[in-house]
Amino acid sequence: MTHRPVLLGGIFLAVLGSLCPFLWFILTSFKSQILVEAIPPTWWPDGSLVFYASALFEHRLLHYVRNSVIVAGSTTVIALVVATPAAYALARLRLPGKTWVLGGLLCVAMFPPIVIAGPVWQILERLGGLNTHWGLVLPYVSLTLPLAVWILTTFFHELPVELEEAARIDGCTTWQALYKIMLPLATPGLFTAAILTFIYAWNEFFFALLILTDPERQTLPVGIALFQGEFIMPWGEIAAASVIATLPLIILVLLFQRGIINGLSAGAVKG
Amino acid sequence: MKGLHAASSIATPSPLSRYSPWAAGLFIAALLFNVLFAHGQEVGTAPFGFAQGGLGPSPIPVSPRITLHSVTWKADHPRAWDEAIQRFEQIHPHIRIKREIAPHSSTAYHALLTQKLRNRDASFDLFLMDVIWTAEFAAAEWALPLDDYFSPNEREKFLPATISSGMYRRHIYGAPSRIDGGMLYYRKDLLEKYGFSPPSTWHELARQAQAILEGERTTNPLLRGYSGQFKQYEGLVCDMLEFVGSHNGSFLTDDGRHSNLTAPESLQAVQFVREQIIQRLATPAALTYQEPESLAVFVQGNAVFHRNWPYAWGLANDPEYSKIVGKVDVTTLPRFAQGRSTSALGGWLYGISAYSQHPDEAWVFIEFMTSPEMQKHFAVRASLAPSRLALYADPEVLHANPQYKDLLPVFQAARPRPRTPLYPIVSHILQRYFSRVLAFPGTDIKEEAQEADLKINRFLALLRDL
Amino acid sequence: MAFPALTFVAVFSLYPAMDSFLLSLYSDFPGPERSFVGFGHYAELLQDPVAHQAFIVTLGFVLLSTTLELLMGTGIALVVHERFKGRGWVRAAVLIPWAIPTVVASQMWRFLLNDQYGAINAILFGDRVDAYVPWLADPWMAFGAIILADVWKTSSFAGLLVLAGLQVIPEETYDAARVDGATAWQRFRHITLPLLKPALLTALLFRTIDAFRVFDLVFVMTQGGPGDATQVIQFYGYKTLFTEGRVGYGTTISVTVFVAMAILSLFYVRTVGSKLLQRESA
Repeated sequence: MTHRPVLLGGIFLAVLGSLCPFLWFILTSFKSQILVEAIPPTWWPDGSLVFYASALFEHRLLHYVRNSVIVAGSTTVIALVVATPAAYALARLRLPGKTWVLGGLLCVAMFPPIVIAGPVWQILERLGGLNTHWGLVLPYVSLTLPLAVWILTTFFHELPVELEEAARIDGCTTWQALYKIMLPLATPGLFTAAILTFIYAWNEFFFALLILTDPERQTLPVGIALFQGEFIMPWGEIAAASVIATLPLIILVLLFQRGIINGLSAGAVKG
Repeated sequence: MKGLHAASSIATPSPLSRYSPWAAGLFIAALLFNVLFAHGQEVGTAPFGFAQGGLGPSPIPVSPRITLHSVTWKADHPRAWDEAIQRFEQIHPHIRIKREIAPHSSTAYHALLTQKLRNRDASFDLFLMDVIWTAEFAAAEWALPLDDYFSPNEREKFLPATISSGMYRRHIYGAPSRIDGGMLYYRKDLLEKYGFSPPSTWHELARQAQAILEGERTTNPLLRGYSGQFKQYEGLVCDMLEFVGSHNGSFLTDDGRHSNLTAPESLQAVQFVREQIIQRLATPAALTYQEPESLAVFVQGNAVFHRNWPYAWGLANDPEYSKIVGKVDVTTLPRFAQGRSTSALGGWLYGISAYSQHPDEAWVFIEFMTSPEMQKHFAVRASLAPSRLALYADPEVLHANPQYKDLLPVFQAARPRPRTPLYPIVSHILQRYFSRVLAFPGTDIKEEAQEADLKINRFLALLRDL
Repeated sequence: MAFPALTFVAVFSLYPAMDSFLLSLYSDFPGPERSFVGFGHYAELLQDPVAHQAFIVTLGFVLLSTTLELLMGTGIALVVHERFKGRGWVRAAVLIPWAIPTVVASQMWRFLLNDQYGAINAILFGDRVDAYVPWLADPWMAFGAIILADVWKTSSFAGLLVLAGLQVIPEETYDAARVDGATAWQRFRHITLPLLKPALLTALLFRTIDAFRVFDLVFVMTQGGPGDATQVIQFYGYKTLFTEGRVGYGTTISVTVFVAMAILSLFYVRTVGSKLLQRESA
């Protein structure tokens, strides 16, 4: 690289910009209450673990983490199982009005959640899905499908047709061609869609708040939001909870950043 | 060409490097699950929701057990609530209470609760209701009239303001859980140092604050004269009601049919807030404050005067939280020269859902929670001001909250916000109006008030046809 | 094969949207019995100054935040596209903001921007506490603050998409330019940028859709204040629909947002989407 200083500067800025704000939360999480709102702010925490204890035991944080893992995990699995054949069909089969279907899916992705929240609530009430995990997973699947289908379609699209044609000649059905030939090749694409879906479901707040009022079922964003009592703003507990809640995702991203990028580069945005 | 290229870009990573993250991921996921499940069992806090009810030594119930679902918020003193409910379940073994937790901002809580009620949700029996919602809930027939349960004799034992906040068109819909009223906290050490007695008018407050600020400039440059709640949210309406009301102004005309924001008293009060409070004593930072931020300024020792609800007393005197323990006192809010001190009425009522299957049992619970002993419990444990009159002479309550003795007149005269089924709409118009004139110093207060008047009148006119 | 997917979308997105659209044609007052008012609410919206202001705020937010996010995202992508030691860690680091739930991230920014104990004031002014700025109290700075929070949170998403685009540009393309003596900037301007166009457009599309629907940030950080300066259209819709209970008018606002977005996106779909599908026949 000819521009080493520029690159180093860029790395420094990117990492600094991304991490610094969160670093302050990490520091805060190890403070005791009187330091949190100290004026001027003190940089170094006194190493108190009070907020972690409070987040974990009083607010039962792990219980929310568990709910979120269940909801986000199921959403991801179901969304992929449903999106894969749809994307394959859109990419490969001669269907009338395909452009419209893809455009329509994009439109669905554009609905403001507020527009559909009320009716979705009513459907779930009729199905008995309020205050259940599956009641939240169903709309999540629907909301993440457009993006998943979009990514997978572009991905399948890039795979060479010849492989499948060979499979067909060997007597494979369309389904067999999809599962035996295409799917293994499309692993990076599936992975990209999976992580996007997972993070969406992990982060979603609006529907979760509306559908889950039973504290036994609430997910992480709702759980953390509900740390706030009537008049007390528990910054310390929120900071500690955010640190704990972000750890699994950081580990995931760290392990899979390679997968995400391979996935996206092979499909999605090819001109 | 393109197809070929794509194929090669997929083929480049070796199979191993492509699959190893998956394996690692599965491993981590398995680990995570293990930790989570193991933890849930260890703590034993019923992650599945039934352990708690099933394990307790349950006396043989006379009738089949009924579970009441109660919509509530996360309390600041969760243990006080847990204890109260445990005691109730001991006394009434055939009733179980299951709480559904909604966010505590009054506005977000309202949004969630009304969403359920609008859909005639029968899955919950009772709820906490802010005093400003009675008219709305009654007019929509969401809340059950409590006339048959809540006898007039019993009602007389409560503070009249709390009872009338539960009434709409001669029926009662809410039983008061507590009372809230705005009050003036102040630094008694600073006032004593400068030889001031607590201010009785707003101008006096401004003068005292200025004198103290000038005197303390060297010792504490951060000191502000006043700390209140001026963010664009429901609390802004309360704070402004206290200024406008103490200048003989009001938001609506006496018959409640017209908006009254352009009355000269009202305009002058708003102008005072803009010029004296925001720009001089409180600094524009107050435009970002809800209760917690404004209290933080005060308990860090950086405000002379502080407007807040009764709960702040406990925190201001808690050494874990406050740097001014023992230096705080509280009094009625000031007034303008010609006006009367006005405290915004707040507080929460218990209501029964019109769609409940168990209204009788729900009332048993409400009766318990509003009983003298439970009101005392919450006053002592959580600094919540009781809604029952007799408790203001109770030695235990007064021992924990000595300030109540002098504040009873505040509660008795607390001023309600407009009582109309359209309150949420009226409140949004008021919030916009006040926030605009305070945040944009160049705006013409009268013009903004006229605009707000017009909007409010338009909605009130719709109601007249009802 | 697409049947299950379409069923999901039909039941949980399309049907609710149609249902909402119908709701927007009925009156909110008086009483619970609603009467048909046709496009009355839409006419009302045209004359609602609060809604106009909210639309302008939203447009400003969309334009500024997506532009900044694309710039930052491209910068991030160019950096992490280079080969250097520890690249994996840097990539993971820049993805962290995106992995933090929005409600939490917005609380974090509210905390950082606090006028008394906020870290940003501490960094800028240190111990000179009297110089501390109440960022969210000023209408313009509050508007800037929600953009800052959004850019921080989602630049890496745009970066990811742009990086994917960078990775498919073959190295040989640059070799010829290098031989011709083109500078790094010239190579970027005349080779990278044109080839990145599809990736940039995809990123722009998904970011625009998301920015138009911004809600959590405003809800947590400013509640639309001060003086409605940060009231985006979705927040206004939420207040009208959920807090005021004006179901008809509230859905009208949201349906209008959707239509505005659809029109805007038509442009993208025509450029990105159609290209995508046409290639298959080639």
